[in-house]
Amino acid sequence: MAFPSLAPTVRTFDAGEYPVKNFRSQSGAEIRILYGSQRTGMKLELSYENISDGQAQSFIEHYDEMNGTYGTFTLPSITKTGWTGSSGTIDVTTGNAWRYESAPQITSVQPGISTVQVQLIGVL
Amino acid sequence: MAKVYTGRDGSLLLDGTTLVKVASWSLQGELETLETTTLGDSQKTYVPGLQGFSGSASLLYYSDDANRNDAGTLLRKIIKTTGVSASDTADLTLRLSDGNTNKDVRFTVYITSVSIGASVGEISKADINFQVTGAPATVTI
Repeated sequence: MAFPSLAPTVRTFDAGEYPVKNFRSQSGAEIRILYGSQRTGMKLELSYENISDGQAQSFIEHYDEMNGTYGTFTLPSITKTGWTGSSGTIDVTTGNAWRYESAPQITSVQPGISTVQVQLIGVL
Repeated sequence: MAKVYTGRDGSLLLDGTTLVKVASWSLQGELETLETTTLGDSQKTYVPGLQGFSGSASLLYYSDDANRNDAGTLLRKIIKTTGVSASDTADLTLRLSDGNTNKDVRFTVYITSVSIGASVGEISKADINFQVTGAPATVTI
């Protein structure tokens, strides 16, 4: 089962970091060592407000299929709906894949209607 | 037959009994909407949420020959020596009638506020506000 193909209501993207370690001497001089050439650790928060309970359920089913935060996956293009820049800009970079950073959270709004929040992190 | 309804056609019933000396009533219905607009949409979209009803009425503070005082009955839903309990509901029917056909909305309400006063040269009136609990029992309006 693929990640649910729904357009999010709110999307927040964090571009992640390159693996850099900083060392600061007592004099204040800083040394930075780059340990890799690939950006990673990008974060994506998706909110799906006022969707049906069946659609909300599909997020939990996908979470189960990924064995929680263990498995990695790619996202359907609909998750980037509304973004007019290059689609790759707000996705994982080459070599990365998404995994759940935490379990999807479902808020029941009224009978049959729920809001789901998903937090993903890009990993190499 | 064409019919324009006026205040003369209106009445307010408590437990199915028409209250006397009702000066006015009003009913407001509302529907919450839940926004379902997603990224990429140009127009907002909604699904229906919860609905609710509330209203108000104004009654002359009037006692008939049998000492029946309908305004007092409603006032005592709030103005009482003990606290208001869950059973302190009222069965209200708001009616417009052409003499043959009744246009009713009947529901169970909690009286949420009351006011009454006395002024020199004025008739004392009781103003009540109510909040409907649950779905209307009858809607023929």
